[in-house]
Amino acid sequence: MSLLIDLFTDHTLRIVALGAGAIGAVAGLLGTFAVLRRQSLAGDAISHAALPGVALAFLVGAAAGGGLAKHPLMLLAGAFAAGWLGMLVVTLIKRTTRISADTALGIVLSVFFGAGLMLMRIIQDLPTASKAGLDKFLFGNAATMLRIDVLTIGALGLLAAFVVLAVWKEFKLLSFDPEFMAVQGWPVRWLDILLTTLIVVAIVIGLQTVGVVLMSALLVAPAAAARQWSNQLGPVAALAALFGALSGVGGAVVSSTIPRLSTGPTIVLMASALVLISLTLAPARGLLWEHLRHLRQHREVRVAQVLVGIYRLASEHPDPTHPHDIASLDAVGLHAAGNTMAQLERRGWAQRANGKWGLTQRGVAEARELEAGGAL
Amino acid sequence: MSGLSLPLVALTQPQLEIIAVAIVVSAACALSGVFLVLRRLALVSDAISHSILLGIVLAFFLTHNLASPLLISAAAATGVLTVWLIELLNRTGRFKEDASIGLVFPVLFSIGVILISRYAGNVHLDVDAVLVGEIAYAPLDRLSLFGQDLPKALWVMGAVLALNVAFIALFFKELKLSTFDAGLAAALGFAPALLHYALVSVVSITAVGAFDAVGSILVVALMIAPPATAFLLTNRLVMMIVYSVGAAVVSSVGGYFLARMLDTNIAGAMAAMGGVVFMLALAFAPERGLLAQFLRRRRQRWDFAARLLAVHLLQHEGDADAQYECSLPHLHEHLRWTEAFAQGVVRLAQQQGLVTRGGEQLQLTEPGRRLANTVLGQS
Amino acid sequence: MLTTTDTLAVSTQDVTVAYQEKPVLWDIDFAVPVGARCAIVGPNGAGKSTLLKTILGLIRPVAGQIEIFGQPYARQRRRVGYVPQRGSVDWDFPTTVLDVVLMGRYGHLGWFKRPGSADRELALTALTRVSMQEFAHRQISQLSGGQQQRVFLARALVQDADLYFLDEPFTGVDITTERAIVDVFLEMQRQGKTIVAVHHDLETLNEYFDWVLLLNVRAEALGPVAEVLTPENLRRTYGGRSGLIERGARQ
Repeated sequence: MSLLIDLFTDHTLRIVALGAGAIGAVAGLLGTFAVLRRQSLAGDAISHAALPGVALAFLVGAAAGGGLAKHPLMLLAGAFAAGWLGMLVVTLIKRTTRISADTALGIVLSVFFGAGLMLMRIIQDLPTASKAGLDKFLFGNAATMLRIDVLTIGALGLLAAFVVLAVWKEFKLLSFDPEFMAVQGWPVRWLDILLTTLIVVAIVIGLQTVGVVLMSALLVAPAAAARQWSNQLGPVAALAALFGALSGVGGAVVSSTIPRLSTGPTIVLMASALVLISLTLAPARGLLWEHLRHLRQHREVRVAQVLVGIYRLASEHPDPTHPHDIASLDAVGLHAAGNTMAQLERRGWAQRANGKWGLTQRGVAEARELEAGGAL
Repeated sequence: MSGLSLPLVALTQPQLEIIAVAIVVSAACALSGVFLVLRRLALVSDAISHSILLGIVLAFFLTHNLASPLLISAAAATGVLTVWLIELLNRTGRFKEDASIGLVFPVLFSIGVILISRYAGNVHLDVDAVLVGEIAYAPLDRLSLFGQDLPKALWVMGAVLALNVAFIALFFKELKLSTFDAGLAAALGFAPALLHYALVSVVSITAVGAFDAVGSILVVALMIAPPATAFLLTNRLVMMIVYSVGAAVVSSVGGYFLARMLDTNIAGAMAAMGGVVFMLALAFAPERGLLAQFLRRRRQRWDFAARLLAVHLLQHEGDADAQYECSLPHLHEHLRWTEAFAQGVVRLAQQQGLVTRGGEQLQLTEPGRRLANTVLGQS
Repeated sequence: MLTTTDTLAVSTQDVTVAYQEKPVLWDIDFAVPVGARCAIVGPNGAGKSTLLKTILGLIRPVAGQIEIFGQPYARQRRRVGYVPQRGSVDWDFPTTVLDVVLMGRYGHLGWFKRPGSADRELALTALTRVSMQEFAHRQISQLSGGQQQRVFLARALVQDADLYFLDEPFTGVDITTERAIVDVFLEMQRQGKTIVAVHHDLETLNEYFDWVLLLNVRAEALGPVAEVLTPENLRRTYGGRSGLIERGARQ
């Protein structure tokens, strides 16, 4: 309870939670499309590719006049340009050579990042007072988030969400059947570029908070979790945004209460926990329910087998409700386990008398039906 | 050996040693990477290189010693764990393959980072070093074995390189077959699954061995870019391995000198150099490079068009509207060739002896008819 | 060869398509009269799907001209409906049957507009025509192959076109689906629409179609089914698989 109060009173926590929540929501929304188009790892590539852009932006800003260098939009613009360029290179490689998509992503990811490291070292050697830290970029530094950061994230996030809503049906068709879309006359390539651009924006706004390695997780996890709960695109995307926001806020809150727990990794663990929960518990698709369904099916089969088995055994007597004891049932190979018999009793198909089991009239009728059905 | 004189630069022993380490590291990574790239597991290497952090942290907690050989085992184990978890997620049928990768490694990495910041914050386990590495320090950490005093990194990576060479040499047949025809490999009893995990283990060991020098993230660069470069240069597996190592060595040595020139992070420069080498291959590789493709397309456009002209004339010979179909204006109108192009093609066809021209009418010659028939027979 | 283009739904001249310098289609002259039910048949790798995709503008030909109702395709998009192969999409995508059919209306709606109740009505009507109306809110991964095919057909119907292209609509579908598709064909013909379908089964050719193109990289024969389906033509197209030829010619 005090956590919630902190959320409202502690200024820093509020800022961080809002910012992280916004980042998570946008990443969740756009991640839905990335995951459905099998571009889950594009986020990883974009995150890493952004580093040289950030460094270059800083250098340009420092050269232009110190104060500009640390302006959030400046670094964001640099990250965006580099990330976007990276995706362009990936597309070029895929289109002009036989190199596979994952290799292309891997090349861009590592080479751009390496170039970025080179630039970062040059920056660190500069005599200027304020420098961008490599740590902050790799792991994010949520604690240093300012109000203006949150406003920037919020504004860009809203813009991205607005665009997605505007061309919702277009993105839907693009993700499902781009060939049909081309035949209808839509400019498929441009829509693809638009969607990629929005994904780059989603990644880039979160980099300084969550860090490189982990931002890509926010693109994938909320969407993967959301997919388990619904079979329609709208609800999946909405849920993904919600899960992303929850991960962001939750991660921020939890990491503020436990000392020396970095925010970025905590957010990722929250998101991953949501995936695990969704995987197990979601209705219909959840693994737990699937397992229970299997168990129930097995039980049904066993109950039917035992019922008909008893019926056949009892048919040797003039009275089909003649009771038998468990031993004689076992002797004919019927594994009448306790809970199976309990099931039969509960359904009113069998009853116990003097330690022996016999069918009821209803049980006899049921067994006759099953036999007539030919299932057994 | 006190030094070596090159035209522009005099290298001291420590610098030579750094270059030696760079060469050994890049060669080992390239060898690991060849089969990763061919099997489309490039991003699995990225995943492993991130999740290795967790293994190292856990091993560190056990031994409190960064130099312990347990680290290597922990790395291999984490690599296998990563791949196993990815397979597990795949098998639920609820996630696509790329999503599985993207779900697993951030979790492991996050746990690693949290463990470090919570419990190892005041010990020298600098995460920067794990991810980024610093090859410049290599000559400082020395190890004496067999009477030779060399940087420890050279011993370790030398052994890893030997491991890679041995692995590929011993299992070349099996690796080749299971990469290009997994079904056949299984049918022949080569246990592709076992081989898969063996490969993953070798990759993980290579990664952790290399992280000391170049950082685990840049291991990805050295594992992927040189084999991709080689892939553009050849069709043969053996040559691909050779070119990969070559590209890797060029990248690392070139990167070293670039870093010296700009006074910057050596590992980063090596990765960037790998990218430059790849781009050069992309542009200029014979046959598969962009320039070669462009030139070939241009040359073949004319040849192709001449063949098309021959086939077209053959198809419409003796038709009711042959006179129209076999005329020059028709080419422009129905084949959608510009007048200039059509004229050029006709000229080329005449030069090749395929066609004769009477005013606007075009006639197929005997050789032309034979060529057209051959072309159609082939298709 | 027909020359009056106002009675032709589709007409191509000298269309040649190459893939990495290897020709996939050579110099194809193809024509389909308005109101015909046309089949494109040929052996595997003959370029049948390629021809379809080239006409639809998905593939750029190296040479040749294509006209739809006497005009370039780009100007006639509204009059064309398309039923692609089932394998061209991921059926695990989170969407319902009705949603997929509504996608056929996107071309009419244009940018930004969402489908409204009128569009929903059209979609449900189309689903009823293929006997899939009960499945309207079913998730598409729960459909059988034949049901998926019918959903794609409904999506094309909703495009309200004059000319329909179908890529292997009868491949791997159950009897119910096959009958449903044929019923739709006949109804379309009654409405004066034109159908062009890639078909693989020579046995049903005469029954389902009245116009045929025998294709094997070149256009081997074109015209009414009864005239074109001769042993000679089939032998040239299929390269001497005699059982098939004799059976096919007996139609």
